[in-house]
Amino acid sequence: MPRLKSPDDLYELREKLKQERDQRHTCVTICSGTGCIACRSQDVVAEFEREMAEKGLEDKVALRRTGCYGLCERGPIVVILPERICYLGTKAEDVSEIVSETLVKGRHVDRLLYEDVETGQRIVRLDDIPFYRKQERLLLEANSLVDPKRIEDYIAIGGYSALAKVLLEMNAEAVIEEIEKAGLRGRGGGGFPVGSKWRTTRDVPSDPKYIIVNADEGDPGAYMDRSILEGNPHSVLEGLIIGAFAIGSQKGYVYVRQEYPLAVENTEIAIKQLEEYGLIGKDILGSGFSFTVDIQRGAGAFVSGESSALMSAIEGKVGEPRLKYVHTAVKGLWDKPTCLNNVETFANVPLIINNGSDWYGRIGSDNSKGTKIFSLVGKVNNTGLVEIPMGMSLREIVYDIGGGIPNGKKFKAVQTGGPSGGVLPEGMLDIPVDFDRLEKVGSMMGSGGMIVMDEDTCMVDTARYYTDFLAHESCGKCVPCREGLRQMLRILDNITSGKGREGDIELLEELSEFLQEAAFCALGSTAPNPVLSTIAHFRDEYDAHIRDKRCPSGVCKDLIAYQIDAEACIGCGTCARNCPVDAISEVEGENTVYEIDQGKCIKCGNCIDVCPPKVEAVVKISSSVLLESA
Amino acid sequence: MYLDEKGAAGAKTADVLVIDDEESMREGCHQTLEADGYRATTAQDGRRGLELIETMHPKVVIVDLKMPGITGMEVLAEISKIDPTIVSIVITGYGSVESAVESMKIGAFDYMTKPFGPERLLESVKRGMNLNEERKAAAQPSISPEAGEAVEGPALDQQTVALKSLELLGQYYSLGLDKRDFLDELVNLETEARFHAETLGWIKEREKILREVLQNLRVVDEVIAQYEYEKSAVLQVMLEVQRRLNWLPRHALKWISRRLKVSLGRLYSIATFYEALSLEPSGAYLVEVCTGTACHVRGAPQLNATVSALLGIQPGQTDSNMLFTLKNVHCLGCCALAPVMKIGEQYYSNPTMKKLEGIFDSLKREKQDYAKVEVA
Ligand SMILES: Cc1cc2nc3c(=O)[nH]c(=O)nc-3n(C[C@H](O)[C@H](O)[C@H](O)COP(=O)(O)O)c2cc1C
Repeated sequence: MPRLKSPDDLYELREKLKQERDQRHTCVTICSGTGCIACRSQDVVAEFEREMAEKGLEDKVALRRTGCYGLCERGPIVVILPERICYLGTKAEDVSEIVSETLVKGRHVDRLLYEDVETGQRIVRLDDIPFYRKQERLLLEANSLVDPKRIEDYIAIGGYSALAKVLLEMNAEAVIEEIEKAGLRGRGGGGFPVGSKWRTTRDVPSDPKYIIVNADEGDPGAYMDRSILEGNPHSVLEGLIIGAFAIGSQKGYVYVRQEYPLAVENTEIAIKQLEEYGLIGKDILGSGFSFTVDIQRGAGAFVSGESSALMSAIEGKVGEPRLKYVHTAVKGLWDKPTCLNNVETFANVPLIINNGSDWYGRIGSDNSKGTKIFSLVGKVNNTGLVEIPMGMSLREIVYDIGGGIPNGKKFKAVQTGGPSGGVLPEGMLDIPVDFDRLEKVGSMMGSGGMIVMDEDTCMVDTARYYTDFLAHESCGKCVPCREGLRQMLRILDNITSGKGREGDIELLEELSEFLQEAAFCALGSTAPNPVLSTIAHFRDEYDAHIRDKRCPSGVCKDLIAYQIDAEACIGCGTCARNCPVDAISEVEGENTVYEIDQGKCIKCGNCIDVCPPKVEAVVKISSSVLLESA
Repeated sequence: MYLDEKGAAGAKTADVLVIDDEESMREGCHQTLEADGYRATTAQDGRRGLELIETMHPKVVIVDLKMPGITGMEVLAEISKIDPTIVSIVITGYGSVESAVESMKIGAFDYMTKPFGPERLLESVKRGMNLNEERKAAAQPSISPEAGEAVEGPALDQQTVALKSLELLGQYYSLGLDKRDFLDELVNLETEARFHAETLGWIKEREKILREVLQNLRVVDEVIAQYEYEKSAVLQVMLEVQRRLNWLPRHALKWISRRLKVSLGRLYSIATFYEALSLEPSGAYLVEVCTGTACHVRGAPQLNATVSALLGIQPGQTDSNMLFTLKNVHCLGCCALAPVMKIGEQYYSNPTMKKLEGIFDSLKREKQDYAKVEVA
């Protein structure tokens, strides 16, 4: 592999790679993100390799394993370029048909195409699928154009030209100005202006300086950073090197959670390739600038994603937050000036440098420029990763892109901002999604989790869920967080198990205030958000739990029971066979019917799921009668 | 009669005899042993020691290897002639592991490196007393007809195990450990082996465990080398060791502590802080049920209840066959496939109860077949 000694070397290599790419006009891309791999996309790849060799297509058609396409629930996804024909849920068995029909004869395999739920029409092109139509995939688009394990792919589509431009044509000041002008804000949750963070770090008269990519992604229900690192690690690394140049750092780290093995692997490969091409190391592209990067694996502690905690972890200590009298930009890793940014933040940087701050400034809303990737999950038809210009309304995201709520259920709320965020009820569906407006209504942008909840989701349980998570993840260093969360969890446990008392809501509010004011780091001070926002918007659900000992959504285990309606039961016994604890048995009598032993029942709900749709003899009930009889 | 002999006067028999030319050593051992209820006696050289052995029939003899006159080795050789049921324990100076090996070859049951604490002494003597009883019982002609046959092959006694371990350590030594580390570790290893052996019962297991311990330490060393002995890489080292061993055994932590010069306390605080690190061995299959928000609203609690019922264990537990460990994880990052379960590298999206049964059954079978092959 030739070391690239100047921008010209890079451009020359790009031309060569582009020509190679153009030789094979058609390209079959197969999503190899974690979601699709979980659905056996490797088998599909292997089958394509075999089929194409058999049909002698290798010289004409390229095969590419790409990063995540976003519509993860419908994987494995196969997209054929340049037409962008999109096949969903592709299995190895389908491959020979795709090869002989689409690749050889140019016809579509209809049954694998997206079917519009309303019209029943088949949609051929990826971009015409409603899920993609309203998205603006500035970052995710590249996922489909590159094999994340090949730096050559990234270079062929223009990768590292932003770096070349920065190193040879701009100075650090100009880079920071450009980022400031673009209005880029951090995507890790806080939305802090990136340019000014870089400037602060740069201006501290102390060396060495460090720069870190935060890929700890501890927010449960979010996987944007994972998909970028897995699908296009070079975009993040290019942003990182540019950032390093801007702040004057020669040493960077990528802190990735070890639960993301593929992200770790692809980043490792990417760094190795960068070293081989001389795009990191000494005197990058002949500019005189030198920089190296190491990977650090995080070990699964939510609080370690917080800046000072993350730095402690890299130093080999327990990843607990420090009291920040001094900002980490001034005194961070090993007490040196350190700049920490999120994965998605860095991935935006090359875009801005390549296209200019003016272009970037036109995307998004007033104070929230650019796009944001969300993990649109939960009770929504099209689950997956969506990238939208900021300022789009929640309604558009949930209904136009997400395709609404499945099974004809009623929408209840959207949760954003993870454990630090809040719920947004139906009345707020029209607010534009950006940093400031979400915060104004008691939630926050967060890192990009967007969990859709329907009428079957209990809001008290949701509050309990997040509080439980946070109580578990609190490092315990400061008392307000440790004890406050523990108390809140106890109260919520009581409420969800039917032991709630009048005054509990007020107590929760009081504790919340205490946490907001006294906690050490943002984990604690934002921890009450899920509780406060559910109380604000769904107080009636709290009341039902506390006063009537009832869970209206039928979620809280201690307040529900599964029963079999003897009239409706046809005695097929499917439920009994699917009960993991043998709690269901035949009742003596004329007709064969079944009954659930409430003492044994663990409320796993398998019986209700397997009872034939036309019978629906198993019912879930929640009423105060239950508790009295128990 | 020697003036400073302790406990010998008057008494006709003794449990323990300590032979050492160093007065403070004799004194110290005597006090410790008497305080613990043993009848102890001492001798200041080998000749007197042998006399007392003949007259007082001690059950355990502790002898210093380096003495003027008759050496400890010679005493050892004599003891086995006088009464093979007597259990001998040798005291060696710091840095003379070769002689420890020698002594064990000619019958010593255990050795203690100077300086040693009272616990070390008492532990060794206690074991020695037990062994003495076993030897006495074995020396009795057996009455029951079955007793003669049974056990296949000679069971390994502790001595053999210790010898093996020394041998193994010898190999390890030649891998380039410095001598100080080697000796310290020798002591640690011994304790470690005993610790495990006690819980597992069978002596045969001890050798296996020692081998395992050694192998684990080798892994640790490899990992540490990979991170260039960098102290700040300690979390990365622990993660990698966890990945390769599946858990962080005590000996591995000790070894990391020693090699990276990081206190054991700090390692423990790191190990307990992070979700990904485990201080307990996990089963052959790690079953992870995601409890991320997306999974939670789409039925993770129900999935969890089903899995837990089928495996008969709660989250955080391992079944008694060491086959399955059930773990709740915060987010597997597969939110679109919610609810998600993961076993090894394989993800499962919303598996039904029947599917789960099938998965667990086939894994059980796989392991059984594997065990059969291993036995064969
Ligand atoms: C408890 C806690 C957890 C956090 N976890 C993450 C995380 O997983 N990923 C992330 O990028 N930022 C996380 N942050 C935010 C970081 O502290 C930091 O603000 C961010 O990485 C800065 O990057 P940005 O300016 O590009 O957003 C967390 C903050 C807190 C308080």
